[in-house]
This record gives sequence, C-alpha cells and structure tokens, in this order.
Amino acid sequence: MMLRFRHSSLALLSMALLAIAVALPASADQHSSVTAPHLTVSLLVPPAELYPGQSFTAGLDFKLEDGWHVYWTNAGDSGEPPAIKWTLPAGTLPAGVTADGIQFPPPKRLPLGPLMDFGYENEVVFPIPMHVAADFHPTQSQAPISAHVTWLVCREVCIPGKADLALARTAIASTPASPATDAATQQLIARFQALLPKPLPAADAATFSQTPKGFVLGVTGLKQSAAQFFPLDQTVIANAAPQPAVVTSNGVQLTLTKDENLQGPLQKLNGLLEFPDGIAYEIHATPGAFDITATAVVPPGGFTSILGAVGLAFIGGILLNLMPCVFPVLFIKGLALVQSSQHERHELRAHGWVYTLGILVSFWAVVAVLIILRAAGRQLGWGFQFQSPTFLALMAMLLFFLGLALAGQFEFGLSLTSAGGSLAQKQGYAGSFFTGVLAMIVATPCTAPFMGAAIGYALSHSAWISFAIFTALALGLAVPYLALAYFPAWARVLPKPGAWMEVLKQAVSIPIFATVIWLVWVFTQLAGTTALMGLLAAFLLLAIAGWFLGRWPGKAAATTIATVVLIAAIAAPVWSVRAFGITARSASEQATGNQPPATGSQWQPFTPALVAQSRAQGKPVFIDFTASWCLSCQVNERLILRRADVEQRLRDSGAVLIRADWTNQDADITQTLASLGRSGVPTYALYPADPSAPAHVLPEVLTPGIVINALDSLPNSNRQSASVSRPIAH
Amino acid sequence: MHHSLRNAATVFCAIAALSVSASAVKVGDPAPDFTGTDTNRQIHKLSEYRGKFVVLEWTNNGCPYTRKHYSSGNMQNLQKEWTAKGVVWLTVLSSSQGEQGYMTASAENSYIEKVHASPTAALLDPTGAIGHEYDAKTTPDMYVIDPSGKLIYSGAIDDHPTTNASDIPHSKNYVSDALTEATSGQQVAVTYTRPYGCSVKYEGN
Repeated sequence: MMLRFRHSSLALLSMALLAIAVALPASADQHSSVTAPHLTVSLLVPPAELYPGQSFTAGLDFKLEDGWHVYWTNAGDSGEPPAIKWTLPAGTLPAGVTADGIQFPPPKRLPLGPLMDFGYENEVVFPIPMHVAADFHPTQSQAPISAHVTWLVCREVCIPGKADLALARTAIASTPASPATDAATQQLIARFQALLPKPLPAADAATFSQTPKGFVLGVTGLKQSAAQFFPLDQTVIANAAPQPAVVTSNGVQLTLTKDENLQGPLQKLNGLLEFPDGIAYEIHATPGAFDITATAVVPPGGFTSILGAVGLAFIGGILLNLMPCVFPVLFIKGLALVQSSQHERHELRAHGWVYTLGILVSFWAVVAVLIILRAAGRQLGWGFQFQSPTFLALMAMLLFFLGLALAGQFEFGLSLTSAGGSLAQKQGYAGSFFTGVLAMIVATPCTAPFMGAAIGYALSHSAWISFAIFTALALGLAVPYLALAYFPAWARVLPKPGAWMEVLKQAVSIPIFATVIWLVWVFTQLAGTTALMGLLAAFLLLAIAGWFLGRWPGKAAATTIATVVLIAAIAAPVWSVRAFGITARSASEQATGNQPPATGSQWQPFTPALVAQSRAQGKPVFIDFTASWCLSCQVNERLILRRADVEQRLRDSGAVLIRADWTNQDADITQTLASLGRSGVPTYALYPADPSAPAHVLPEVLTPGIVINALDSLPNSNRQSASVSRPIAH
Repeated sequence: MHHSLRNAATVFCAIAALSVSASAVKVGDPAPDFTGTDTNRQIHKLSEYRGKFVVLEWTNNGCPYTRKHYSSGNMQNLQKEWTAKGVVWLTVLSSSQGEQGYMTASAENSYIEKVHASPTAALLDPTGAIGHEYDAKTTPDMYVIDPSGKLIYSGAIDDHPTTNASDIPHSKNYVSDALTEATSGQQVAVTYTRPYGCSVKYEGN
C-alpha cells in the first residue's frame, strides 16, 4: 500500500504556474533539475514516449547537503513533507496522463534536542506511479510533464523551497515497438521503490494493547532483533520517546509512549515497522492482546536452528570448564577425582553421573526460576544472582569457610553436614552432587563463547526450548568429568594418593581465597563499605567456628558452639546489607572515590538515547557491556581495550565509545542485550552509523585483531556518502 | 569503570530530562506555573494572571512559519484583538543564544515596534526553561489557558501548515476559535492539534 500525501492547498499559486507552464512548454532537461539552497531537486521520468495504456513510475529526487534533511509523510514534531502539483499532458479531455500520490520510503529518526522528526538525509527519491489513459489521444506530439514542487529543508534552521520542474516527452498514439527508456533513471527509482514499505504478510497480525503510558505493539511473524516504529498519524505517540523492542517467541513487541494529549481509546495504530536490515512493513494494528504463544513456538525452519542452539549450548558448557571463574571448582573437582581414584570403576562412573545430576538439577532450578520471573514480566538476564549483595555475601562466606578447611584449619566430614561447601567436599554421592551444584553456581557469570548466544536464544523462546538449551549447557559442563569417570585410561594418568594430596588440598585454598577477594570486591560495589563491615565480621566468626571444629574435632559441645557461631556469621552480612546496604547508585559513587581515574575517559555511560543520537549524527557506536562481577569483562578491558594500539584505533575510528555497566540490574541494558540476542556479559557490539544496518557482535574473548578488524570493516565516511543504495539511512 | 558510573548518573539524568522531555502538558490539566522575565525586565508569573485568559505564543522571527504570520499581520491582529478583550498574550522566545530567533531585550523591543506587534509581554527564555515546561515543539506553538489556570488549547495556530501567507484568509484559526468559544462559555471544540513550524531552537540541540 502506498502512502499518500495530503496536498496542502496551494491552489492559487499552482494555477498561476499552470498558466506559465502551458504558455512555455519546457525545453528538454532545462528545468528537470533545480539547485536550491542546500539541495538539488530533480524530476525523473524514465520513458521517452507517452502512449495509451502505459504505466510507469516517475520520481522526485532530492540530493541534500550534509546535515540537511527533508521530511517523511509524517514529519514528526516539526517540519512538513514535500508536496507536488502536476501539470500533465491532457490529450483530448478527459483522458490523459494521471499521477498517483507521492510514495515515501522509510524515513530516519532525526532527533533534535527534545524533539524527534522523521525524514531523509543525503539523498531520497520519492517514487510516483503514473498512468496514461487507455483512450489517450494526444493532440500534439509535445507532451511536457511539469511539476510544481514545494518542500521544507531543515538543519538547525528551516528553509521552505519551491521549484518548477519540467521534462519534454513525446506523445504517440500507440504502443511503440521498442519503447525508449532512460535506464539509469529507471534504476535509481527502482532502488528506492525496493525500499518502500511492504504490506504485512497475510499470515501475520499486528495488534496493540493500551497501557496507561502508551501502547504495546505486537507483530507476529517478523522475528528480528530490533525494530523501529514510525507513526503514520500525527499526535498519537510521543515521537521522541524510546521504543524498547523485545523479541518474543512468535514475533516482535515494541513499547510505545503515547502522545500526552491523545483523547479516548485508539481504534487503529497505523505506521511503519522498520527492521535493522532496512525492510519496512506498513502496519495497521488493531486493539487486542499480543498473544506470545499464539503461533507455533518453533519458527519456520526453526527445528534445525534449535538443534544448532542446543549443540552450541553443549559446546559452550564444555568451554565453561576452562573459564577463569570456574577454575577454583575445577581444582575441587580434580581433588575429588584424586580421592575417587581409590574407588572401584563402577563407583567412579556412578559418581560422575551424580555430579552430572547435581549440575543438571541446579541448571533446571535456575531455568525454572527464570521462566517464572520472565512470566512475571521481570526483565532479567543471566548472571543476575551476582547482582544481589546477600547472595554474594553467602557465596563469599561459603568459599571462605571452604578455604579455611582446605588450608587445614579443620577437617571436613567429621561433624558438619549442613553448609553447601562442606557438602561439596564430602566423600560419597552427596559430595559429588554438591560439587556439581557448586560448579554451576560459580560458572554463572562467565558466559563462555557460544553460551551467551544460546541463552539469549533460550530466553527469547518457549519454556521447553529454554529447558532443552539449559540441559545441553549442563551436560556440556559435566561431560569432561563424566568422560574421566568412563575412561579409566585417563583416570590412570592421575597420580597415586599420598602425602602430596594434603599439599595439593592446601594449595587449592589459594584460588579459593582469590575468588573470595573477588566476591568481596563485587559485594562492596553493590552494598557499600559500611555493609562490608558485616561481611568481614562474618569472616571472623567463620574463622572462630573453624577453630572450634579444628581444635576439638568430633566433640558435640564444640560442634554446637561452631553451629551457633556459624548462624551468627550468616546473620551478620544479611543484617548489615539490610541496615547499611546503600542504593546501587550511591554505592558506585562511594566506590568511585577510591578508584584512580580510568584511562579510558572517552568511554561514555550507556543510554539508549545516546546510541540513537550518535548514530543519527552519522557516528558508529561501540558498546562494551560489562559488569564488575564479570572477570572475563575485566580481563578484556584491561588486556585488550586499554592496549595502546587498540585505544588509538578506537579513537581514530570516530566511533562513540559507550560502556554499559550491568553490575546492577538495568532494564535498558537488559533490553539492549536482548535485542542483540544476548542475555549476559561480556558482550561487545559495534553499531555502524547507518541506523538501519545491523550491529556486529564481537566474540566474548577479545583479541586486539578482533577489535581492529571489526573497526576496519566499518564503512568509511567517504563510502557512506557516496552510497546510493541506502540513501535514506545517513 | 566506576567513575564512569558516576558520570552515568549525571549524564543519564541530563539526557533523560532532555529526550524524554519530562511530561508534556495535557489539555484539561492545570497549566504549569512559570516565572519569566520580559524585554522590559518585568517579572511575569503565570499564576498572577488567574482570572484572565492567557495565550502563550512561541516565536522565532527567523523561522519562515513564524514570518508567515507576522509578515501578513495575522499574528499582530490576533494580539490586538484579544488583548483588547482582556486576554493576556505572552510571546515566548526559547531560542538559545547563538541560535536563530535569539533576541536581546532591546533587539526584541525594536522588532516588536517595527512589526507593530502588541503582545502583553515578550518573555526571554534562552535557557528553554518555559519551553521545556510546556514541551513547546515548534514556532509558532500556541497555548490557551483559561481563568482557572487550566490549559484549554494546545497546538497549531491554524489548519494550514505552510509558509505561504496566501493560505491565511481561508485558514481555520484554532486560537481564535478556542478563545471565542471559551469566552462565550462554550466548550472548546478543537482542544489539541499538532503544532506546525520550525523546531524550537533549544539550548544544546
């Protein structure tokens, strides 16, 4: 369906010009193009002859100076679209040449302070279908096509313009044997015709529901990572408001803010939905809830992609074993294996399976919680448990206590059976099970390559697919240990038990304590230095409990005292977080005071508006999605992004550098990650300046080459401005 | 990273204030109160005009849409007609310094004299404080406030979004209509339209 422009009434002026146009038949090409302030406007009419029954597409071409724009059919908060008044060969009346309305390619969002306009920069061609009547009888061979064009061209200031354009064409009485056509003109028009919005496929539906603040627009079938809505009607939505988009199991859903003065319920929400690949659909959404589960949860051709995602999740799980934050657990597992090598082979296998079960159950528990929370509408991503100070405190205490035991302050298995960490160290099946649980918990924040994509995929799909993905992830994490249990050849490589085991056990406490330091650091970021006192006091209480256990092993009284002290230890940080835990923002401010100024001061904090604004200004954007609890992120930042050559290249690229800090929950960041098909950090995304071009997501483990190559692949500014294939986008 | 977080707080608030533009004014709600200084250093407070109809007119004398209404005398006629009937007419200049339409007090006074404009006062708002308060989008952008302080019209001056003065005679003037209806005790028929014109040249654009 085409977009028709409502002609503004310029009747008087047009009549006068019509008279001039009739009086002075335009000579060839002399006036087909006019250079006006800040633009050149041209009339494009590909065929050389006009004959009965002919249909063709003419075009109105605007070439704009840098920074200047003309407007879409709905100009947004200010501005007006171009308009055209035709003077066309009439032949013997009434049959003659007629022109349809101007067709508008999808526009670009043009932010201007608090305002948002919709328009075009660089170059735009508006296609205009034209028809010659079947009973067209030319009265003379000269058939000039004349147009009076008016427009508003703006940058910071606006300048109205007008031009009279004319092309000489030959009228003939019948279809010629070989119609003459200007191929270059026809191709230029065709390029823009290809961009015109398409009707929504018949199988898909567009619905919207009204909320107090606006609308939730749901469109089925169009599954893409991001989308922009351009309203065809004025004064319906707040043009400048961000339009967070989420991918659902069967389409895409956008949250739109309504115009404050919109009265009564809306009957239809009309507009364009444009996707990052440049394809736009014209939609006329009707009221109704967007049923996420309405269509099949398996997208067309999706079964193979689901299998692929499951496979990737499995590989991701295996790689998870190698990630830095799983290392302490790997040590524990290695230790457990050394102990297990004394057992019979079948028992080893059984332990392997119990360990696998431990991992599986933990992953299932997380996926169950995720599904419940997602159903409750909470925007959560992977790693969220590390955004809770209480959870962090308990993890730190668990590992600290475990570290004390490994270092030899007391022996496990003699009296304590309650703490998860001691369970992990227990011999027997319970020990194997809880080692699996611990492996899963510690692995959480380290989204290995593949894993992030797989989780993003899982979270945007149905519960069953999420379940399958998480199961594959769990099996991947468990398989190295399981393989060891099944292949005695590998087990035989393990050293014989002996005195070295005690040394190894004590050595293992070192990475455990290192992990504790990291957890305490993250805790301080979240809860502040006052709450930190509670956690440090808890460590002291743990050390006292450990001393009781070690000094009087197996004694009931000592065990009782230790238990009481342990309960006090757990209570201390929980209470201190409640009492002194400060808000996330002030915590980070407090933490800031102790930090040296970062060298990367060119990094700006993330806001969706900053990304949109920068791209609208023609600048590419590099976003580093990070969190202080994510070790892989710190490693990438310190070793790669802060390398002198990488920093230099980032600066030279002209890209706006943005750091999205996900240490605390942030709905905007979660949504942006979701739009990239990711749900965890680290994530690195390079957005080309062209807002319709998709973002390039870099691997999670960066190398200088990866970053530099990605920047090199950006279209350079010269190529951008010369490009006519995506002219609406600059 | 964490010091960037502190900046995040500041920058985020600034951008949020700009881009989400606080809350637009809703027709039927009380018009936000403001204090502005006019070209004669007089202070005007909206709430002091309780009991009178107030018109707010955003202007930028470099904008072709504004010029359409001043070169034709349309805006001056409206100002004369309604101020004579006791309406308070406040012209607001929200162009920031260096932008099109920014005027010093004396320059604006001579301009008012030159074009024979007769607003009650012309308020200088180079920081855009009043403009942001009302979410004024274009020049012209018109607001009508009733004696109880309620906003009764917001939007375009008329129904011809062009720069062509010859459209004025056959245009429906929304401001005039709203004032005519409201002063005669009738309901205002058209309470909200999309304002047309150049964007307001706010600071920091």
